[in-house]
Amino acid sequence: MDRAIPSPLPRARSGWLLLSGCLLAVALSLPMAVLLGVADIPLSDSLAALTGGGSAMARSILLDFRLPRVATGVLAGINFAVAGLLLQRITRNPLADPSILGISQGATLAVAVFLLFSVYRHAPGGNTLPELPVAWLPTVGTLGGLGAAGLVHLLALRHDLGPMRVTLCGVAIGALLHALAMGVIAGWGSTRIEILLEWLAGSLYARSWEHAAFLAPFTLAGLTALPLILRPLDLLSLEASVARSFGLSYQRHFTLVLCLASGLAASAVGAVGPIAFVGLLTPHLARFVVGRRRRLLLPVTITLGAVVVTAGDLAGRLLGGAEEIPIGVVTALFGVPVLIVLLRKTP
Amino acid sequence: MPVLCSHLSVAYGRRPALTDFRLSLQPGEIRGLIGPNGSGKSTALQSIAGLIQPTGGRVEIDGRPVHALPRRALAQKLAYLPQQPTAPEDMTVEQLVRQGRFAHVGLFRRYGPEDEDAIRWALDNTGLTTLAERSLRELSGGERQRAWIAAALAQQAQVLLLDEPTSFLDIGHQVEVLDLVHRLSRERGVAVIMAIHDINQAMAVCDAISLLQKGVLMFDGPPTALADSGLIETVFRVTGRFVHVADGAAPHFDVSLAQRRSARH
Repeated sequence: MDRAIPSPLPRARSGWLLLSGCLLAVALSLPMAVLLGVADIPLSDSLAALTGGGSAMARSILLDFRLPRVATGVLAGINFAVAGLLLQRITRNPLADPSILGISQGATLAVAVFLLFSVYRHAPGGNTLPELPVAWLPTVGTLGGLGAAGLVHLLALRHDLGPMRVTLCGVAIGALLHALAMGVIAGWGSTRIEILLEWLAGSLYARSWEHAAFLAPFTLAGLTALPLILRPLDLLSLEASVARSFGLSYQRHFTLVLCLASGLAASAVGAVGPIAFVGLLTPHLARFVVGRRRRLLLPVTITLGAVVVTAGDLAGRLLGGAEEIPIGVVTALFGVPVLIVLLRKTP
Repeated sequence: MPVLCSHLSVAYGRRPALTDFRLSLQPGEIRGLIGPNGSGKSTALQSIAGLIQPTGGRVEIDGRPVHALPRRALAQKLAYLPQQPTAPEDMTVEQLVRQGRFAHVGLFRRYGPEDEDAIRWALDNTGLTTLAERSLRELSGGERQRAWIAAALAQQAQVLLLDEPTSFLDIGHQVEVLDLVHRLSRERGVAVIMAIHDINQAMAVCDAISLLQKGVLMFDGPPTALADSGLIETVFRVTGRFVHVADGAAPHFDVSLAQRRSARH
């Protein structure tokens, strides 16, 4: 082979710069999300609280409220963003996000049904969330989301898996589950709708260490599995016949990636509700940032997922004051213009 | 024998797409697959590539049934390129060609010097070395087609299946692709099956031609015998004749447009 041919494969030099930029964004947004909030705590008091001293109030607010909230947000953000990227790849659809497979709708239905039954079983007179077994909501939501994804997968498998089948089945199942959930909510009586609405908007309000602990295994398992699917992911973005003739066991890897994405998305929806646009937008944002350095896409998506949710939640807390704006509303309000700008910039 | 098909039949639902198809391919042979639209050329290629399950008969690659081979083992022996494949627009040429090495590196193995050499060789032979860092959206249709051919070449398989590789290319690039195919077969012993629309290109490049009509094999043999058979006119429903051009060269099919013209008047 002629060595004199100039190498067509120069490695991107600015990759590290890009990654450091992303890490800097994390390094800025996380402390801000912890240190800033509705309750004004002097910086010195906050820092003291974080290192074990400080006032009791500062310790309580920071350690019991803000830190777990930020941790939950970071984990959920990573899950949403990575799930969105995986789903966009395998469905070969730039508009894919957890709702396209019915995951969000499945979680919503499960949570609605669960709340309905627990109201009648445990607290017939109860009208507020704390009277209900809310600790189970993440698990119930996750199971609902996984159930929906499983159903979609089964249906699509019967017709030979493929991006189009999965997307169509997902949209159909999603619409059905959504309708069922709305039916349950409508038949429920107005007084308790508020409980569900808060969950539906996607919120980090009152998220505790339990939520972070619930999410952590999913995030960890998902991130650990990523190296396994790095090469298949590239191949899955081609059509099935090509991917297979390049040597990929298409169904096996399609299913693996689908399971991974479903676990990530369903756990995130279960823990914080269906936060709009994070799964859809973050991969596009990451793609815009990395340009041709496609190998950086995953790390950048992961960091941006964490930053977007943390920053969005902080914005919701600061702008809304005591009546904080749910993060789902913030991400939708900021996400739509950003998406439109990105679409204009990419030819 | 690199490829052997016997009594191969494929049906889509109840509609038969290929009936009792046979083909045997020697190393270094170029086989042309011709026939009208919908005659089963692509179906034949896809079943040889193990992408669709035949309803009858069998396909053997290197003496083993194609469906018994794991996808990666098959990909090391056989590369297949469909008509007008698509890839994400932000993928670069080099990244696309790199996918061709998956058969060899698998999920985890690092790309070694032989992989980088294969990628470089594929880019060089398709004239894409200087375009390697371009993203696919920046390429012309012809360059894109060559990028896909490069990806298949990077696979370094001994059997190459091409579904209309020259369609949508200008005449210059058509000749380039055919030259490349010819060189591969002669210099590297690669066996090629190529669905192709241009009868004269098929006559000039192929060692043997299979003619399909509605899924049925009408002819299987060398180009000169096809010229003598008179089948081109009946299968494609045209009038024309084969013209002797030069000694040693395949005869040239000269289609007559007279009937069409008179029909219009």
